[in-house]
Amino acid sequence: MVEAAPQTSHDTELLHAIARGDESALAALYDRYHSILLGLLLRILHSRVEAEDVLQEVFLQIWQRAANFDEARGRAFTWMVTLARSRAIDRLRALQSRQRADDTALRDAPDPVGDASDDAYHAEQREIVRAALAQIPEEQRRALLLAYFEGLTQSEIAARLGQPLGTVKTRMRSGLGKLRDLLGEKMGRGAGLNF
Amino acid sequence: MKHEEYKEMLALDALDALDVGDDERRALDAHLATCADCRAEHSALRDAAAALAYAAPAPQAASPQLRARILAAVTSSSQDAHQRGGNGASSRDGAAEATHASNVSSPDEFEQRRASREVRVSRSILRFGSLAASVALVALLVSLALLWQRNNRLQSELARLSATVNQTQQELALTRADRELLAQPAAHSAALTGTKMAERAHARLTFDAETGRAMLTAADLPPAPSGKAYQLWFIAAGKPPMPGSVFQPDPRGRAEMRETIPPEGRTAAVFAVTLEPAGGVSAPTGEIYLKSSAS
Repeated sequence: MVEAAPQTSHDTELLHAIARGDESALAALYDRYHSILLGLLLRILHSRVEAEDVLQEVFLQIWQRAANFDEARGRAFTWMVTLARSRAIDRLRALQSRQRADDTALRDAPDPVGDASDDAYHAEQREIVRAALAQIPEEQRRALLLAYFEGLTQSEIAARLGQPLGTVKTRMRSGLGKLRDLLGEKMGRGAGLNF
Repeated sequence: MKHEEYKEMLALDALDALDVGDDERRALDAHLATCADCRAEHSALRDAAAALAYAAPAPQAASPQLRARILAAVTSSSQDAHQRGGNGASSRDGAAEATHASNVSSPDEFEQRRASREVRVSRSILRFGSLAASVALVALLVSLALLWQRNNRLQSELARLSATVNQTQQELALTRADRELLAQPAAHSAALTGTKMAERAHARLTFDAETGRAMLTAADLPPAPSGKAYQLWFIAAGKPPMPGSVFQPDPRGRAEMRETIPPEGRTAAVFAVTLEPAGGVSAPTGEIYLKSSAS
Protein backbone atom coordinates (compact mmCIF):
# COMPACT_ATOMS: atom_id res chain seq x y z
CA MET A 1 0.00 0.00 0.00
CA VAL A 2 1.23 3.41 -0.96
CA GLU A 3 1.89 5.82 1.88
CA ALA A 4 -1.30 7.70 2.71
CA ALA A 5 0.00 11.12 3.55
CA PRO A 6 2.07 11.83 0.41
CA GLN A 7 -0.78 10.73 -1.86
CA THR A 8 -3.33 12.94 -0.11
CA SER A 9 -1.11 15.97 0.13
CA HIS A 10 -0.07 15.47 -3.46
CA ASP A 11 -3.70 15.65 -4.64
CA THR A 12 -4.35 18.72 -2.53
CA GLU A 13 -1.26 20.43 -3.88
CA LEU A 14 -2.30 19.59 -7.43
CA LEU A 15 -5.70 21.20 -6.87
CA HIS A 16 -4.11 24.30 -5.38
CA ALA A 17 -1.76 24.54 -8.36
CA ILE A 18 -4.70 24.10 -10.73
CA ALA A 19 -6.50 26.90 -8.90
CA ARG A 20 -3.53 29.11 -9.76
CA GLY A 21 -3.94 28.21 -13.44
CA ASP A 22 -1.11 25.66 -13.60
CA GLU A 23 -1.81 23.59 -16.70
CA SER A 24 0.83 20.98 -15.96
CA ALA A 25 -0.88 20.31 -12.62
CA LEU A 26 -4.12 19.69 -14.48
CA ALA A 27 -2.34 17.29 -16.82
CA ALA A 28 -0.85 15.47 -13.81
CA LEU A 29 -4.27 15.20 -12.19
CA TYR A 30 -5.71 13.88 -15.44
CA ASP A 31 -2.99 11.25 -15.72
CA ARG A 32 -3.60 10.16 -12.15
CA TYR A 33 -7.40 10.05 -12.09
CA HIS A 34 -8.88 9.97 -15.58
CA SER A 35 -9.06 6.19 -15.52
CA ILE A 36 -10.98 5.86 -12.26
CA LEU A 37 -13.25 8.76 -13.22
CA LEU A 38 -13.90 7.37 -16.69
CA GLY A 39 -14.75 3.98 -15.13
CA LEU A 40 -17.26 5.69 -12.85
CA LEU A 41 -18.80 7.66 -15.72
CA LEU A 42 -19.05 4.54 -17.88
CA ARG A 43 -20.69 2.60 -15.08
CA ILE A 44 -23.31 5.34 -14.72
CA LEU A 45 -23.83 6.21 -18.37
CA HIS A 46 -23.15 2.90 -20.18
CA SER A 47 -21.89 4.85 -23.17
CA ARG A 48 -18.28 5.55 -24.04
CA VAL A 49 -19.22 8.63 -26.04
CA GLU A 50 -21.27 10.15 -23.25
CA ALA A 51 -18.71 9.17 -20.62
CA GLU A 52 -15.83 10.81 -22.48
CA ASP A 53 -17.93 13.90 -23.04
CA VAL A 54 -18.79 14.15 -19.35
CA LEU A 55 -15.15 13.48 -18.47
CA GLN A 56 -14.28 16.64 -20.35
CA GLU A 57 -16.98 18.54 -18.44
CA VAL A 58 -15.57 17.21 -15.19
CA PHE A 59 -12.04 18.37 -15.92
CA LEU A 60 -13.39 21.68 -17.12
CA GLN A 61 -15.17 22.08 -13.81
CA ILE A 62 -12.09 21.03 -11.85
CA TRP A 63 -10.13 23.63 -13.80
CA GLN A 64 -12.66 26.34 -13.10
CA ARG A 65 -13.56 25.50 -9.53
CA ALA A 66 -10.35 24.17 -8.04
CA ALA A 67 -10.13 27.32 -5.90
CA ASN A 68 -13.34 26.25 -4.16
CA PHE A 69 -11.73 23.05 -2.92
CA ASP A 70 -10.91 23.28 0.77
CA GLU A 71 -8.91 20.39 2.21
CA ALA A 72 -10.30 21.22 5.66
CA ARG A 73 -13.71 20.09 4.44
CA GLY A 74 -12.80 16.82 2.79
CA ARG A 75 -10.42 14.89 0.64
CA ALA A 76 -9.44 15.94 -2.84
CA PHE A 77 -10.42 12.51 -4.13
CA THR A 78 -13.87 12.79 -2.58
CA TRP A 79 -14.28 16.27 -4.03
CA MET A 80 -13.38 15.14 -7.54
CA VAL A 81 -15.39 11.93 -7.48
CA THR A 82 -18.43 13.68 -6.04
CA LEU A 83 -18.19 16.26 -8.78
CA ALA A 84 -17.84 13.61 -11.48
CA ARG A 85 -20.73 11.52 -10.17
CA SER A 86 -22.93 14.58 -9.97
CA ARG A 87 -22.19 15.54 -13.59
CA ALA A 88 -22.79 11.97 -14.72
CA ILE A 89 -26.12 11.69 -12.90
CA ASP A 90 -27.21 14.99 -14.45
CA ARG A 91 -26.31 13.64 -17.87
CA LEU A 92 -28.03 10.33 -17.12
CA ARG A 93 -31.28 12.13 -16.23
CA ALA A 94 -31.07 14.19 -19.38
CA LEU A 95 -30.48 11.10 -21.50
CA GLN A 96 -33.31 9.24 -19.80
CA SER A 97 -35.78 12.01 -20.44
CA ARG A 98 -34.64 12.23 -24.04
CA GLN A 99 -34.88 8.47 -24.31
CA ARG A 100 -38.46 8.58 -23.07
CA ALA A 101 -39.20 11.34 -25.53
CA ASP A 102 -37.64 9.49 -28.45
CA ASP A 103 -38.76 6.07 -27.29
CA THR A 104 -35.51 4.69 -28.64
CA ALA A 105 -32.65 2.92 -27.03
CA LEU A 106 -29.75 5.24 -26.48
CA ARG A 107 -27.13 3.09 -24.93
CA ASP A 108 -24.05 2.15 -26.82
CA ALA A 109 -22.81 -1.36 -26.80
CA PRO A 110 -21.50 -2.02 -23.31
CA ASP A 111 -17.92 -0.92 -22.95
CA PRO A 112 -15.58 -3.89 -22.85
CA VAL A 113 -14.14 -4.24 -19.40
CA GLY A 114 -10.43 -4.49 -18.93
CA ASP A 115 -7.95 -3.54 -16.28
CA ALA A 116 -5.45 -2.31 -18.82
CA SER A 117 -5.70 1.31 -17.76
CA ASP A 118 -5.38 0.75 -14.02
CA ASP A 119 -2.02 1.46 -12.54
CA ALA A 120 -0.86 -0.47 -9.50
CA TYR A 121 -2.22 2.11 -7.08
CA HIS A 122 -5.72 2.18 -8.52
CA ALA A 123 -5.78 -1.60 -8.95
CA GLU A 124 -5.06 -1.94 -5.26
CA GLN A 125 -7.71 0.56 -4.25
CA ARG A 126 -10.18 -1.19 -6.49
CA GLU A 127 -9.41 -4.50 -4.86
CA ILE A 128 -9.88 -3.06 -1.36
CA VAL A 129 -13.29 -1.59 -2.24
CA ARG A 130 -14.46 -4.79 -3.97
CA ALA A 131 -13.42 -6.86 -1.02
CA ALA A 132 -15.22 -4.52 1.37
CA LEU A 133 -18.40 -4.55 -0.70
CA ALA A 134 -18.33 -8.33 -0.78
CA GLN A 135 -18.65 -8.34 3.01
CA ILE A 136 -21.77 -6.20 3.00
CA PRO A 137 -25.16 -7.99 2.93
CA GLU A 138 -26.59 -8.25 -0.56
CA GLU A 139 -29.72 -6.12 0.03
CA GLN A 140 -27.67 -3.32 1.58
CA ARG A 141 -25.12 -3.44 -1.22
CA ARG A 142 -27.89 -3.33 -3.79
CA ALA A 143 -29.42 -0.20 -2.24
CA LEU A 144 -26.01 1.51 -2.11
CA LEU A 145 -25.23 0.76 -5.74
CA LEU A 146 -28.69 1.88 -6.90
CA ALA A 147 -28.20 5.20 -5.15
CA TYR A 148 -24.66 5.69 -6.30
CA PHE A 149 -24.70 4.51 -9.90
CA GLU A 150 -28.33 5.01 -10.87
CA GLY A 151 -28.69 8.31 -9.03
CA LEU A 152 -31.90 7.18 -7.36
CA THR A 153 -33.20 8.85 -4.22
CA GLN A 154 -34.32 6.94 -1.15
CA SER A 155 -37.98 6.98 -2.28
CA GLU A 156 -37.10 5.91 -5.80
CA ILE A 157 -35.05 3.01 -4.46
CA ALA A 158 -37.95 1.97 -2.22
CA ALA A 159 -40.25 2.00 -5.24
CA ARG A 160 -37.73 0.11 -7.39
CA LEU A 161 -37.19 -2.58 -4.76
CA GLY A 162 -40.81 -2.69 -3.64
CA GLN A 163 -39.70 -2.16 -0.04
CA PRO A 164 -40.95 0.26 2.61
CA LEU A 165 -39.04 3.54 2.67
CA GLY A 166 -37.97 2.98 6.28
CA THR A 167 -36.43 -0.36 5.39
CA VAL A 168 -34.55 1.10 2.48
CA LYS A 169 -33.20 3.98 4.55
CA THR A 170 -31.99 1.56 7.21
CA ARG A 171 -30.28 -0.61 4.62
CA MET A 172 -28.51 2.35 3.07
CA ARG A 173 -27.39 3.70 6.44
CA SER A 174 -26.16 0.30 7.56
CA GLY A 175 -24.51 -0.45 4.25
CA LEU A 176 -22.59 2.80 3.98
CA GLY A 177 -21.67 2.71 7.66
CA LYS A 178 -20.29 -0.77 7.21
CA LEU A 179 -18.38 0.22 4.10
CA ARG A 180 -16.80 3.10 5.98
CA ASP A 181 -15.77 0.80 8.82
CA LEU A 182 -14.41 -1.86 6.46
CA LEU A 183 -12.37 0.61 4.45
CA GLY A 184 -11.06 2.15 7.65
CA GLU A 185 -10.14 -1.26 9.10
CA LYS A 186 -8.43 -2.22 5.91
CA MET A 187 -6.24 0.80 6.19
CA GLY A 188 -5.52 -0.15 9.77
CA ARG A 189 -4.74 3.47 10.62
CA GLY A 190 -8.19 4.78 11.46
CA ALA A 191 -7.63 7.39 8.80
CA GLY A 192 -9.81 5.90 6.09
CA LEU A 193 -8.74 5.33 2.50
CA ASN A 194 -5.67 7.12 1.36
CA PHE A 195 -7.25 8.78 -1.62
CA MET B 1 -35.10 18.36 14.66
CA LYS B 2 -32.88 16.60 17.12
CA HIS B 3 -29.26 15.59 16.74
CA GLU B 4 -30.25 11.91 16.25
CA GLU B 5 -32.57 12.78 13.41
CA TYR B 6 -29.85 14.72 11.63
CA LYS B 7 -27.44 11.91 12.26
CA GLU B 8 -29.81 9.53 10.48
CA MET B 9 -29.78 11.79 7.43
CA LEU B 10 -25.99 11.79 7.07
CA ALA B 11 -25.51 8.53 5.17
CA LEU B 12 -28.38 9.28 2.81
CA ASP B 13 -27.03 12.74 2.17
CA ALA B 14 -23.55 11.33 1.54
CA LEU B 15 -25.15 9.09 -1.10
CA ASP B 16 -27.04 12.09 -2.51
CA ALA B 17 -30.20 10.06 -1.98
CA LEU B 18 -32.15 12.36 0.34
CA ASP B 19 -35.34 13.54 -1.21
CA VAL B 20 -36.06 16.33 1.19
CA GLY B 21 -36.89 19.94 0.49
CA ASP B 22 -34.47 22.82 0.50
CA ASP B 23 -35.56 23.85 3.99
CA GLU B 24 -34.62 20.49 5.50
CA ARG B 25 -31.35 20.47 3.66
CA ARG B 26 -30.53 23.93 4.92
CA ALA B 27 -31.43 22.76 8.40
CA LEU B 28 -29.06 19.82 8.00
CA ASP B 29 -26.29 22.11 6.79
CA ALA B 30 -26.92 24.41 9.72
CA HIS B 31 -26.70 21.48 12.13
CA LEU B 32 -23.47 20.32 10.54
CA ALA B 33 -22.04 23.78 11.01
CA THR B 34 -22.52 23.51 14.77
CA CYS B 35 -22.04 19.76 15.42
CA ALA B 36 -18.45 18.54 15.13
CA ASP B 37 -19.56 14.94 15.76
CA CYS B 38 -21.94 14.92 12.80
CA ARG B 39 -19.44 16.81 10.67
CA ALA B 40 -16.76 14.16 11.19
CA GLU B 41 -19.20 11.34 10.50
CA HIS B 42 -20.57 13.07 7.41
CA SER B 43 -17.07 13.55 6.06
CA ALA B 44 -16.16 9.90 6.65
CA LEU B 45 -19.40 8.71 5.02
CA ARG B 46 -18.76 10.93 2.02
CA ASP B 47 -15.30 9.42 1.66
CA ALA B 48 -16.84 5.95 1.83
CA ALA B 49 -19.44 6.86 -0.79
CA ALA B 50 -16.72 8.28 -3.06
CA ALA B 51 -14.85 5.00 -2.71
CA LEU B 52 -17.79 3.35 -4.50
CA ALA B 53 -16.28 4.80 -7.67
CA TYR B 54 -13.83 1.91 -7.41
CA ALA B 55 -16.73 -0.52 -7.54
CA ALA B 56 -17.14 0.39 -11.21
CA PRO B 57 -15.25 -1.86 -13.61
CA ALA B 58 -11.96 -0.42 -14.80
CA PRO B 59 -12.42 1.00 -18.29
CA GLN B 60 -10.34 0.20 -21.32
CA ALA B 61 -7.48 2.61 -21.58
CA ALA B 62 -8.47 6.07 -22.74
CA SER B 63 -6.74 7.19 -25.91
CA PRO B 64 -3.95 9.78 -25.92
CA GLN B 65 -6.20 11.73 -28.31
CA LEU B 66 -8.85 12.01 -25.61
CA ARG B 67 -6.24 13.31 -23.20
CA ALA B 68 -4.99 15.87 -25.70
CA ARG B 69 -8.53 16.92 -26.60
CA ILE B 70 -9.67 17.35 -23.02
CA LEU B 71 -6.58 19.17 -21.81
CA ALA B 72 -6.64 21.48 -24.82
CA ALA B 73 -10.35 22.22 -24.43
CA VAL B 74 -10.11 22.78 -20.71
CA THR B 75 -7.00 24.92 -20.54
CA SER B 76 -8.18 27.07 -23.44
CA SER B 77 -11.18 28.05 -21.33
CA SER B 78 -10.54 30.76 -18.84
CA GLN B 79 -10.84 30.11 -15.16
CA ASP B 80 -13.53 32.21 -13.51
CA ALA B 81 -11.80 35.32 -12.28
CA HIS B 82 -13.50 35.18 -8.90
CA GLN B 83 -12.51 31.54 -8.44
CA ARG B 84 -8.86 32.40 -8.79
CA GLY B 85 -6.25 33.27 -6.24
CA GLY B 86 -7.33 31.35 -3.13
CA ASN B 87 -9.75 33.56 -1.20
CA GLY B 88 -10.46 35.84 -4.11
CA ALA B 89 -14.12 34.89 -3.95
CA SER B 90 -16.83 37.20 -5.15
CA SER B 91 -18.58 39.28 -2.52
CA ARG B 92 -21.66 37.06 -2.60
CA ASP B 93 -19.65 33.88 -2.22
CA GLY B 94 -17.50 35.59 0.33
CA ALA B 95 -20.50 36.47 2.47
CA ALA B 96 -21.82 32.93 2.20
CA GLU B 97 -18.42 31.50 3.10
CA ALA B 98 -18.29 33.69 6.18
CA THR B 99 -21.75 32.62 7.31
CA HIS B 100 -21.01 28.93 6.96
CA ALA B 101 -17.34 29.12 7.70
CA SER B 102 -17.23 25.90 9.67
CA ASN B 103 -19.68 24.03 7.49
CA VAL B 104 -18.60 20.72 6.05
CA SER B 105 -20.60 21.13 2.85
CA SER B 106 -19.55 24.40 1.31
CA PRO B 107 -22.39 26.70 0.29
CA ASP B 108 -21.07 26.39 -3.21
CA GLU B 109 -21.59 22.67 -3.02
CA PHE B 110 -25.05 23.10 -1.60
CA GLU B 111 -26.02 25.41 -4.42
CA GLN B 112 -24.58 22.96 -6.88
CA ARG B 113 -26.55 20.06 -5.49
CA ARG B 114 -29.75 22.01 -5.45
CA ALA B 115 -29.06 23.31 -8.94
CA SER B 116 -28.34 19.76 -9.98
CA ARG B 117 -31.76 18.59 -8.85
CA GLU B 118 -33.37 21.49 -10.61
CA VAL B 119 -31.38 20.70 -13.69
CA ARG B 120 -32.63 17.12 -13.66
CA VAL B 121 -36.17 18.44 -13.97
CA SER B 122 -35.46 21.18 -16.44
CA ARG B 123 -33.10 19.19 -18.67
CA SER B 124 -35.98 17.48 -20.45
CA ILE B 125 -37.61 20.82 -21.01
CA LEU B 126 -34.30 22.09 -22.33
CA ARG B 127 -34.02 19.15 -24.69
CA PHE B 128 -37.36 20.02 -26.23
CA GLY B 129 -36.36 23.64 -26.01
CA SER B 130 -33.21 23.03 -27.97
CA LEU B 131 -35.14 21.04 -30.57
CA ALA B 132 -37.56 23.94 -30.87
CA ALA B 133 -34.61 26.29 -31.10
CA SER B 134 -33.11 24.23 -33.94
CA VAL B 135 -36.41 24.29 -35.81
CA ALA B 136 -36.68 28.02 -35.19
CA LEU B 137 -33.11 28.52 -36.43
CA VAL B 138 -33.81 26.68 -39.68
CA ALA B 139 -37.00 28.66 -40.13
CA LEU B 140 -35.08 31.84 -39.47
CA LEU B 141 -32.41 30.96 -42.03
CA VAL B 142 -35.03 30.14 -44.66
CA SER B 143 -36.82 33.42 -43.97
CA LEU B 144 -33.51 35.24 -44.19
CA ALA B 145 -32.78 33.68 -47.58
CA LEU B 146 -36.25 34.61 -48.79
CA LEU B 147 -35.91 38.11 -47.41
CA TRP B 148 -32.52 38.44 -49.05
CA GLN B 149 -33.98 37.43 -52.43
CA ARG B 150 -36.88 39.75 -51.93
CA ASN B 151 -34.57 42.52 -50.91
CA ASN B 152 -32.59 42.05 -54.12
CA ARG B 153 -35.78 42.16 -56.17
CA LEU B 154 -36.96 45.24 -54.37
CA GLN B 155 -33.61 46.93 -54.82
CA SER B 156 -33.60 46.43 -58.57
CA GLU B 157 -37.22 47.53 -58.67
CA LEU B 158 -36.25 50.57 -56.63
CA ALA B 159 -33.37 51.35 -58.99
CA ARG B 160 -35.72 51.09 -61.94
CA LEU B 161 -38.27 53.33 -60.26
CA SER B 162 -35.58 55.84 -59.30
CA ALA B 163 -34.51 56.04 -62.92
CA THR B 164 -38.13 56.55 -63.93
CA VAL B 165 -38.56 59.22 -61.30
CA ASN B 166 -35.41 60.98 -62.47
CA GLN B 167 -36.60 60.91 -66.03
CA THR B 168 -40.03 62.11 -64.99
CA GLN B 169 -38.51 64.90 -62.97
CA GLN B 170 -36.37 65.97 -65.90
CA GLU B 171 -39.41 65.90 -68.15
CA LEU B 172 -41.41 67.80 -65.59
CA ALA B 173 -38.68 70.42 -65.34
CA LEU B 174 -38.73 70.82 -69.09
CA THR B 175 -42.49 71.02 -69.11
CA ARG B 176 -42.34 73.71 -66.44
CA ALA B 177 -39.74 75.58 -68.46
CA ASP B 178 -41.92 75.24 -71.53
CA ARG B 179 -44.94 76.49 -69.64
CA GLU B 180 -43.01 79.40 -68.22
CA LEU B 181 -41.78 80.22 -71.64
CA LEU B 182 -45.21 79.98 -73.20
CA ALA B 183 -46.93 81.82 -70.36
CA GLN B 184 -44.45 84.67 -70.39
CA PRO B 185 -46.21 87.87 -71.50
CA ALA B 186 -43.06 89.02 -73.27
CA ALA B 187 -42.66 85.78 -75.24
CA HIS B 188 -42.28 86.18 -78.93
CA SER B 189 -44.13 83.88 -81.21
CA ALA B 190 -43.93 83.23 -84.91
CA ALA B 191 -46.22 81.04 -86.96
CA LEU B 192 -44.62 78.93 -89.69
CA THR B 193 -46.66 77.58 -92.55
CA GLY B 194 -45.98 74.74 -94.95
CA THR B 195 -44.49 75.45 -98.31
CA LYS B 196 -45.38 73.54 -101.45
CA MET B 197 -43.18 70.72 -100.14
CA ALA B 198 -45.61 70.13 -97.30
CA GLU B 199 -48.67 72.20 -97.75
CA ARG B 200 -50.52 70.89 -94.73
CA ALA B 201 -47.58 71.35 -92.35
CA HIS B 202 -47.61 74.15 -89.82
CA ALA B 203 -45.51 75.12 -86.82
CA ARG B 204 -45.06 77.74 -84.13
CA LEU B 205 -41.82 79.01 -82.69
CA THR B 206 -42.08 80.64 -79.28
CA PHE B 207 -39.05 82.30 -77.76
CA ASP B 208 -37.80 84.57 -75.04
CA ALA B 209 -35.89 87.41 -76.67
CA GLU B 210 -33.90 87.97 -73.47
CA THR B 211 -32.49 84.46 -73.02
CA GLY B 212 -33.01 82.96 -76.46
CA ARG B 213 -34.87 80.00 -75.00
CA ALA B 214 -37.22 78.76 -77.65
CA MET B 215 -39.59 75.96 -78.48
CA LEU B 216 -40.70 74.83 -81.87
CA THR B 217 -43.87 72.78 -82.19
CA ALA B 218 -44.71 71.42 -85.57
CA ALA B 219 -47.50 69.27 -87.00
CA ASP B 220 -48.24 67.38 -90.21
CA LEU B 221 -44.66 67.25 -91.35
CA PRO B 222 -43.89 64.39 -93.73
CA PRO B 223 -41.43 61.91 -92.26
CA ALA B 224 -37.82 62.74 -93.00
CA PRO B 225 -36.25 60.29 -95.47
CA SER B 226 -33.50 58.09 -94.16
CA GLY B 227 -30.31 60.04 -93.45
CA LYS B 228 -32.17 63.32 -93.46
CA ALA B 229 -33.55 65.59 -90.74
CA TYR B 230 -35.30 68.89 -90.55
CA GLN B 231 -33.23 71.88 -89.53
CA LEU B 232 -34.33 75.25 -88.19
CA TRP B 233 -32.89 78.49 -89.58
CA PHE B 234 -32.87 82.07 -88.40
CA ILE B 235 -32.76 84.57 -91.22
CA ALA B 236 -31.99 88.24 -90.65
CA ALA B 237 -32.14 90.76 -93.41
CA GLY B 238 -28.90 91.08 -95.29
CA LYS B 239 -27.22 88.18 -93.51
CA PRO B 240 -26.73 84.51 -94.34
CA PRO B 241 -29.20 82.18 -92.56
CA MET B 242 -28.03 81.17 -89.12
CA PRO B 243 -28.29 77.42 -88.43
CA GLY B 244 -30.48 76.09 -85.61
CA SER B 245 -30.92 72.55 -84.38
CA VAL B 246 -32.09 69.52 -86.31
CA PHE B 247 -35.13 67.48 -85.41
CA GLN B 248 -37.24 64.54 -86.50
CA PRO B 249 -41.01 64.46 -86.45
CA ASP B 250 -42.78 61.51 -84.82
CA PRO B 251 -44.68 59.03 -87.03
CA ARG B 252 -47.76 61.24 -86.82
CA GLY B 253 -45.78 64.17 -88.24
CA ARG B 254 -45.55 66.01 -84.94
CA ALA B 255 -42.34 67.53 -83.59
CA GLU B 256 -41.45 69.41 -80.50
CA MET B 257 -37.97 70.86 -80.21
CA ARG B 258 -36.30 73.01 -77.63
CA GLU B 259 -33.78 75.44 -78.87
CA THR B 260 -31.61 78.24 -77.71
CA ILE B 261 -31.52 80.98 -80.31
CA PRO B 262 -28.18 82.82 -80.60
CA PRO B 263 -28.44 86.57 -79.88
CA GLU B 264 -28.21 87.55 -83.54
CA GLY B 265 -31.00 85.13 -84.38
CA ARG B 266 -33.46 86.61 -81.92
CA THR B 267 -33.99 89.60 -84.12
CA ALA B 268 -34.43 87.47 -87.23
CA ALA B 269 -37.15 88.48 -89.61
CA VAL B 270 -37.83 85.03 -90.86
CA PHE B 271 -37.68 81.51 -89.41
CA ALA B 272 -37.52 78.55 -91.73
CA VAL B 273 -37.23 74.78 -91.66
CA THR B 274 -35.40 72.86 -94.39
CA LEU B 275 -34.71 69.20 -95.02
CA GLU B 276 -31.00 68.58 -94.57
CA PRO B 277 -28.51 65.76 -93.94
CA ALA B 278 -29.29 64.24 -90.53
CA GLY B 279 -26.24 65.80 -88.86
CA GLY B 280 -27.23 69.31 -89.83
CA VAL B 281 -25.38 71.79 -92.00
CA SER B 282 -24.02 75.31 -91.54
CA ALA B 283 -25.72 76.71 -94.60
CA PRO B 284 -29.04 75.53 -96.00
CA THR B 285 -28.82 73.09 -98.93
CA GLY B 286 -32.28 71.48 -99.05
CA GLU B 287 -35.83 72.44 -99.76
CA ILE B 288 -37.71 74.78 -97.42
CA TYR B 289 -40.64 72.95 -95.76
CA LEU B 290 -41.77 75.54 -93.22
CA LYS B 291 -41.39 79.27 -93.24
CA SER B 292 -42.63 82.22 -91.22
CA SER B 293 -43.98 85.22 -92.97
CA ALA B 294 -41.69 88.18 -92.59
CA SER B 295 -42.65 90.15 -89.53
